[in-house]
Amino acid sequence: MELEPHTWLILGKFAGAGIALGMGGIGAAIGMGNAAGMANTAIMRQPKVQREMLRTMLIGQAVGEGAAVFALVIGLFIIVVSPANLELIGGNYFAALLGAGLSIGFGTFGSGLGCGWPAGNACAGFARNPARSPKLTQSMIIGQAVAQSPSIFALVVSLILILTAKNGTDLPTMGIYISAGLAMGVSALGSGIGSGKTAGGAVDGIGRWPLSYGVTLRTMLIGQAVCETPAIFGMLVAFIMVIAPGDLNPGILGFAQVFGAAIAVGFGGIGPGIGSGLTAAQGCAATAARPDKDALILRTMLIGQAVSQSTAIYALIIALALLYVVG
Amino acid sequence: MMDPTTILTLMNAAVAQAPEAATSAATGIAGADLIKAGALIGAGICMGFGAIGPGIGEGFAAGKACEAIGRSPQEAGLLTRTMLIGQAVSESTGIYSLVIALLMLFVIG
Repeated sequence: MELEPHTWLILGKFAGAGIALGMGGIGAAIGMGNAAGMANTAIMRQPKVQREMLRTMLIGQAVGEGAAVFALVIGLFIIVVSPANLELIGGNYFAALLGAGLSIGFGTFGSGLGCGWPAGNACAGFARNPARSPKLTQSMIIGQAVAQSPSIFALVVSLILILTAKNGTDLPTMGIYISAGLAMGVSALGSGIGSGKTAGGAVDGIGRWPLSYGVTLRTMLIGQAVCETPAIFGMLVAFIMVIAPGDLNPGILGFAQVFGAAIAVGFGGIGPGIGSGLTAAQGCAATAARPDKDALILRTMLIGQAVSQSTAIYALIIALALLYVVG
Repeated sequence: MMDPTTILTLMNAAVAQAPEAATSAATGIAGADLIKAGALIGAGICMGFGAIGPGIGEGFAAGKACEAIGRSPQEAGLLTRTMLIGQAVSESTGIYSLVIALLMLFVIG
């Protein structure tokens, strides 16, 4: 396509910032609404400790809202960014801005949504057992911090895309930038939801059985680490696309190679991320209820998560085959 | 009424001309390239979207198994076996996707 440099730049700014803020806002908004809803139910049950519940809800919402703030920062950066050689800008720069928007938009969706569950369950735990508040708040913040990590991966990839974009217009390079953003963002979506679900299950269990705090927290961290695998695969593919793309075919074939790889590893990561989270959430709740059987539950949880991750590994294999074998 | 042999000859001629006609299209993208590009993106879509269902479903099964083991740990062996059988069935669609994706990459593409 023959477009003027200025047109490419403005198109990239509109597309990138729009997707960043549009997608990035959805998850945090749903998650924080969920937290506030559960806080209301909890306050209805125990109006005496409403002040503590409100404080915990606000802390939890502030951490969860961080995901949307990342999207806002990248969106504003995309709008104000001004490259050095304005007259050399082409389709590649447009693709880099669009890819950055895809990365941060989809990447913060999952974390924002996921952070709602621990915040809401912490408030529900207060209603059950007001005396244990510090441990609940503590486990909520630890769980949310881990659930935020996919959105931090997405932030890193979108900054790399904006800052290293090349000049000119060629289809394979445009494909690399769009695909790197898509691979990172969409794969982070599942991991964020899964890690958040895990933290929610752990906080719920600690609220019901406060004495098994330590062992539940350990199971939560192991479960969340497995949930992060698809996001790490996505980040790996995004990095190798930008740094060492291999011998891509010229023209539309090269574009198809990288775009296909991004769809495989990105969307392929959603299911395993959410599925591992569903497993780990129940594993944490079960560990809290039966801390004496923690090793047995942890073993079953890890086997289940490993099987659930297998499809993410198939997706990674297909993505790597598209990038390096099909050439 | 046209003779069937003439129709066959005309069809053969049309098939033989088709790739050249596609190559000289005004877009500058060759038809053969477009077909291969479609196979590559199709492989990505096949494996990517195909992995969503098994991932969530297997996680769901494993979550329920963890819950059940928490309630009755003495049945852990039976529950783990049932979980693995259920997950294997759920995994089958993921393997179908993998097979079709590999077919599109290395046989069609």
